Amino acid sequence: MTQEKKRAINRLESMRPIRAEIDETYRQSAAAVREGKPIAWAMVNYWIGDAILHALDIGAVYPESYGAVCAAMGAAQSYLDRCGEEGFPTHMCGYARNCIGYTAKMMKDCGGQIPPDAPMGGMPKPTVLVSRGSSCDAGFKWFQALGRYLDAPMWTLEMPVPGVKEGLSKEVQERNVKFMVQELRSFVAFLEGIFNKKLDWDKLSETIYDLEEIGRVWHETNELRKAVPCPMHSRDFWTCMNGPTTPTGDLKKKLALYRALYEEVKYRVEHGISAVAEERYRVGFTELPPWHSLHFFDMLAERGWNFVVETWGYHPPRPIDLTNVNDPLERLARISYSGLTTAYFKEAAQAGEYMGFLGYPNLEYAREYKLDGFLLHPLLSCRAASAHLWYVQDRLMRRLKIPSLMIEGDIVDVRLFDLEDALKKAEAFEQIMDHYKHVRKAAGIGW
Amino acid sequence: MLEDTLVIAEKTKAFDKVKELNQERTVRVKQLKAAGKKIIGYLCLHPVLEMLTAFDLVPFRVLGDMGERVTRADTCMPPMVCPFLRSCLDLALKDKYAFLDGVVMAHICDVGERMAHIWRTYKEYNYFYFMDVPHTVHPPALDAFKEEIKGFQSSLESFVGEKLRVEKLEEAIELHNEQRKLIRELYDLRKPAPPLITGSEVLQVIIALASIPVDEGNELLRRLITEVHERRPRLPEKKARLMIWGSVVDNVSLIEMMEGVGASVVMDDLCLGTRAYWESVEMTPDPLDGLAYRYLVGIRCPRTLRETALYRNKKDYAADLEHRFGYLRSYIREWNVKGVILQSVKYCDTHGYEVPAVKDYLQKLGVPSIYLEHDYSYGSLAPLRTRVQAFLEILK
Repeated sequence: MTQEKKRAINRLESMRPIRAEIDETYRQSAAAVREGKPIAWAMVNYWIGDAILHALDIGAVYPESYGAVCAAMGAAQSYLDRCGEEGFPTHMCGYARNCIGYTAKMMKDCGGQIPPDAPMGGMPKPTVLVSRGSSCDAGFKWFQALGRYLDAPMWTLEMPVPGVKEGLSKEVQERNVKFMVQELRSFVAFLEGIFNKKLDWDKLSETIYDLEEIGRVWHETNELRKAVPCPMHSRDFWTCMNGPTTPTGDLKKKLALYRALYEEVKYRVEHGISAVAEERYRVGFTELPPWHSLHFFDMLAERGWNFVVETWGYHPPRPIDLTNVNDPLERLARISYSGLTTAYFKEAAQAGEYMGFLGYPNLEYAREYKLDGFLLHPLLSCRAASAHLWYVQDRLMRRLKIPSLMIEGDIVDVRLFDLEDALKKAEAFEQIMDHYKHVRKAAGIGW
Repeated sequence: MLEDTLVIAEKTKAFDKVKELNQERTVRVKQLKAAGKKIIGYLCLHPVLEMLTAFDLVPFRVLGDMGERVTRADTCMPPMVCPFLRSCLDLALKDKYAFLDGVVMAHICDVGERMAHIWRTYKEYNYFYFMDVPHTVHPPALDAFKEEIKGFQSSLESFVGEKLRVEKLEEAIELHNEQRKLIRELYDLRKPAPPLITGSEVLQVIIALASIPVDEGNELLRRLITEVHERRPRLPEKKARLMIWGSVVDNVSLIEMMEGVGASVVMDDLCLGTRAYWESVEMTPDPLDGLAYRYLVGIRCPRTLRETALYRNKKDYAADLEHRFGYLRSYIREWNVKGVILQSVKYCDTHGYEVPAVKDYLQKLGVPSIYLEHDYSYGSLAPLRTRVQAFLEILK
């Protein structure tokens, strides 16, 4: 009598319709272009521009997310190679190189049509490009580089990035919000001019409400993961994170799906159900995962590794009080500014940790989620995601006696990730995590 | 002591002074510090130097050291980021910048931004300020940047303990504009065939200027320009007149290598070069307007996005290239450039994304170009030499 092998990660059932809904947006965007409707290629911009696109009925696809799709489906290599042939240095962002290679193929070889080998229906030719000034230089340089192939106009959404100390000033915060609102007004005017269409401000307000609500539910879902054992593994987070960070499609339907997800996670907490069979180690993951090798996490789950929290930048913004903010553009500006840059500044400054933008939240997560260790994943093609990880490793150890394992790889390029070596290192790292449990206890650190 | 040094400087030939400052960049600022001046380190091009000068602070540009192996920075910054910035941080962690009284850094690029915060965590100074810099040149971005400069001014007022007087700021702008004018005069000496001054000499001059107060730099430049005019014998003529474009070059070895294999580097588009000096500050009723424009729009670093106007709601690539790189056309024409070397330190994304577009533009102008990438080490120059030689063969 054979016994079916139990999956190491206890995946959430409610995650599946969310994934299906996200996948559906690719098909919808390709269909929309066939019907002559406008489509934007947008950098993940944490809602600030998405809500306006949505309210103007401009569909959006996200080349970053599509890079992950190409990597996960083993289709990225030919696009990476093509990007190199086009003269771009190979150290650049894997997502960007995937997209540039894809675009070169679409425009030069396929007459502007989706390449036949493109996974999941492909990305249709864009009508407009919406880049971002936040998070990384690739966020705008990559779309600017697409000008070699596309005649789509481009807008860059500005996002101030003050230093931690400087950003604590109320004056600085208010003037940055004012700047963002001015920029958003210009963005609206830009889109209205391109598409000869007026923005429906009521629809924008409703869209923002839906997004805030999705964000709130998703935030509360992640708060539930502080429970021991943790009910939701990072793999479910990664499957679902695109819903809130890249809001497209029917937002009310999405909201219902995220509420169902919340209920399932809550049920698990109430019944002590873990995301892995035996939670031996509570581990945080920082930066984006190797999308091409996600089975790595299943292998670690078999060893009792439960990934309970991941990169702060992909989590929804901490809810803030916007009771007295009626201008929808100001709401967007405040949510994005707080969510992406200044959310943890206060705590960071109090702790004297000036790396508040991307570094400090890891320390906060380590405390809140009672972590045994961190798996840091420097991306060999991404400076923005990697430049601070050595610093984070140092601060985690100095401040909290939390060890971290550095495993280099890439989000897209499978050649840069050594699975066997990573597994060997992980096995040895367990002894280190065990050791530091005692060290923390001796040092009076709470877990 | 301060006066003694100035007397000695007057007796020294200007280029000897330049060489001295290249051998030991800190020699002058350490004298000034001993005499009671405060020295403020700054990184890259966006910190507003006029503001430091107006407060009687001495700006000192933070540079790396190709000859110093990175060791300390390994603990807090990975190897797959800009090797120049890693070197700067490494020097700071080794206390090579411990003489600074303060540091100002800016949101120049991803790694520059991260490094500023890491630097601040591990090294304490009496003064540290981080300036955010918008990514676009949209009108609201210009307004926001002006406000950012105001914030920088306020922080300096707190540090120095006195309010800034507008006249002092205007005087500082005039001094820095004078330096920019003199630099353009110096560059004019590269126009003749053969040029009166080599590319590697010009880089040494600029490194020296980044190591001393602006008024002393202006005096040095005046004497240097006179000396170069009087030079005998003139430099040998080389047919390959090159322009060098790209990320930071703060060591003469790269240019010396090019000039050693038969080229004359007659022009540059570098941040220790034209990008730092070409645009002056316009004297506006509110000086901060002129400063904001010059430091956001006037600095031609690819970290700032510029886009051309749309044509019938579409982007025109040729117009976009002209809008972004049109200034190179005049460099090429006026300095009679025959070929362009595009170079970048490895892992510099802002330049990396730009390379195919710059090549497209140069191709349109009919000027051959080659792209070289290096890792900010002497060791990486040998293979580049072969490629430069091959490029010079093409130019023949």
